[in-house]
Amino acid sequence: MKTDSFDVLVIGGGPAGLCACAELSRCGIKVLLVDEGPVLGGQLVKQTHKFFGSREHYAGVRGIEIPDKLQEEIDEKLITVYSSSTVVGIYPPNNNVLIYRDQKKVEEHSFKYIIIATGASENMILFENNDLPGIYGAGAVQTLMNQYGIIPGKNMLMVGAGNIGLIVSYQLLQAGCRVKKLIEAAPSIGGYLVHASKIIRMGIPVQTSTTILKAIGTEKVEGAITVKLDENWNQIEGTEEEIEVDTICLSVGLAPSYKLAVHAGCKQIFIRELGGMIPWRNSSQETSVNGIYIAGDACGVEEASSAMIEGRLAGLNIAKCMKRLSEKACNEKIDDNLISLDKLRSGPFGERIVEGIRKLEGKSYE
Amino acid sequence: MLPKTADIVIIGGGINGTSLAYYLAKKGIKNIVILEKNFVCSGATGRCGAGIRQQWGTPENTSLAMEAVKLFETLSEELDWDIEYEQCGYLIPAFTDEFADQFSKNVRMQKKLGLDVSYLTPQEAKDIVPDLCVDNVRAATYCSTDGGGNPLLTTYAYAHRAKELGVKIHTKTEVTDITVSGGNITSVVTDKGTISTPMIFNAAGGHSQEIAAMVDIDLPINSYRHQILVTEPVEHFFDPMIISFDYNIYFRQVKHGSILMGCSDTSEKPGYDTTSTLDFIKDITTRSIKIMPKLKKLNVLRQWAGLYNVTPDAMPIIGDVADVGGYFQAVGFSGHGYMLGPKVATLMAELIADGKRDEIIDRLSLERFKSGNITVDSSVC
Repeated sequence: MKTDSFDVLVIGGGPAGLCACAELSRCGIKVLLVDEGPVLGGQLVKQTHKFFGSREHYAGVRGIEIPDKLQEEIDEKLITVYSSSTVVGIYPPNNNVLIYRDQKKVEEHSFKYIIIATGASENMILFENNDLPGIYGAGAVQTLMNQYGIIPGKNMLMVGAGNIGLIVSYQLLQAGCRVKKLIEAAPSIGGYLVHASKIIRMGIPVQTSTTILKAIGTEKVEGAITVKLDENWNQIEGTEEEIEVDTICLSVGLAPSYKLAVHAGCKQIFIRELGGMIPWRNSSQETSVNGIYIAGDACGVEEASSAMIEGRLAGLNIAKCMKRLSEKACNEKIDDNLISLDKLRSGPFGERIVEGIRKLEGKSYE
Repeated sequence: MLPKTADIVIIGGGINGTSLAYYLAKKGIKNIVILEKNFVCSGATGRCGAGIRQQWGTPENTSLAMEAVKLFETLSEELDWDIEYEQCGYLIPAFTDEFADQFSKNVRMQKKLGLDVSYLTPQEAKDIVPDLCVDNVRAATYCSTDGGGNPLLTTYAYAHRAKELGVKIHTKTEVTDITVSGGNITSVVTDKGTISTPMIFNAAGGHSQEIAAMVDIDLPINSYRHQILVTEPVEHFFDPMIISFDYNIYFRQVKHGSILMGCSDTSEKPGYDTTSTLDFIKDITTRSIKIMPKLKKLNVLRQWAGLYNVTPDAMPIIGDVADVGGYFQAVGFSGHGYMLGPKVATLMAELIADGKRDEIIDRLSLERFKSGNITVDSSVC
């Protein structure tokens, strides 16, 4: 067993993980940050749009600029970063962790404190031929375009009108692609009006109560058939429409990536509003396993802004346990962040999350 | 809703429970109920190494396994369900003279029972699996009709066909007690209600001894954690299941290309813990690459654990018992329940439905432990 000079392991260098590192390093705590990507920032590194809300939530700042701002908060001397590395397992009872470092060698470590900030993964939906080349998750398209400068195709069908579907549609236009249609199974657009207006102004036809029936093509996508849905979400026969596209982009929701938490023995509960099965956690972001914390989309799909605050809360609560900051100072900072989180969730889009959190806090994991 | 009465209650929804239900229903037995505390195939069957072999160390295990293979050969057809059964062979190298001697005795016994098995030189073993490292191999045995199947598909197929024949399967239903009156089974108590029944069949796998204890039967059985891992799928490069008793390990490349490997940890204590350990991954990967160095390049996808339900002689305990009327069991398979279960189920169905008692039932009854004169099958890992 490797003896470690790290106090805390943070898994995932996205908004939640970076903010956790910032708070921990501010308290003089040594952190090992493991991230699977070549650069830190998680999903932020491809978010070219400006954030909303208030200044404390990075309003007006483009997502791609935030990782640098957060890294400025972190004391370099106190943080060790393993990028392009994967945590493959957390083994109870001693939190032994296996890390596949640089995609080359396996290292074993043991930690008293771990923050799981692994984000979420894209959902897939069922339709005929959904495994044809040319079918992408919207997040994958964003990564290809905004991070690696690769356009996935020329003519797109976007499935799903949540914020990601709307934003990626706009970014596809910016990249010179044609979004031939945006379909949404629900009767109304799910994302923010400001994003929706932008793409409607650009002339992208949006069809609600519509889903994808099948992808056409043998070697790759050559088209798609869409179908209208009635108020009970049943397909309406005779409303099938064929559309000629070379790329189908799916933006049908996210699911928390919490497999490591399950492996570590964290108890799970089902809360629909937070994305389905999630690890149980308390208001300190601590799971049912002592010393293992979770923050961001990994414990309930929300937004980058709330992930950042949850990351800070996890970091501060660990600092409190480690007594690296006076209890009073810790509590003050924790309260500030809790208030900030409440503010963020106070709008109409936060209602679902607030309801989810209310259910979570009412439940014990036993 | 749990039925109020049943003609027989089967406890356990693994390979033993579902196959027995199917064979009983086929014989026209009505009102069969399976009680499963979790979901079908959630226990040992769904977590097993999926091998089906006949090269055993005792005549009982060998002849039972030979009968089982006959059954597996036509099982996909019988159940009209592809259970991914394949006869890819089992290659068992011996790395010490002690095992080489033991294997030659085993082969003699197995041949006497009619098994087509060969005793090979290291080079002959390498001809079958070119990537096998034979540097320290003394000899090997090989049987081409050994192989494997998909335990999940097999169990689902049995459960599905049993349901079609009227069997009721109640999952998420845990047996908490069994009542006996005048020496006979009268009912089964569960967390969802009570069922009156004159017969029960203990097919509870890793928890069989707990069920037996409810009717005051003390089974000489312990459960042990057994861990398995699966690698990423790669292009097919070897056919047989390879087992080594020296290294206490087995592995096989399954149909879709992954390598499944497992081993028993001899330091494991009896218990019901099925969490995965890091030591297992470290141990088994170290050991397996000594036998097949090429495995070194593979990534591990997943690991999991299940329970071996182990008897003192590594042979199952089957049949009825003298003291409790209406109690039947097929337990203590010691890590080979998937491969032997379906055959045992046909024998048990004959016993329960027709009163026909195959001689192997007596040889594998609980009574054998009373004499204290048992032969242990050492061909287990």
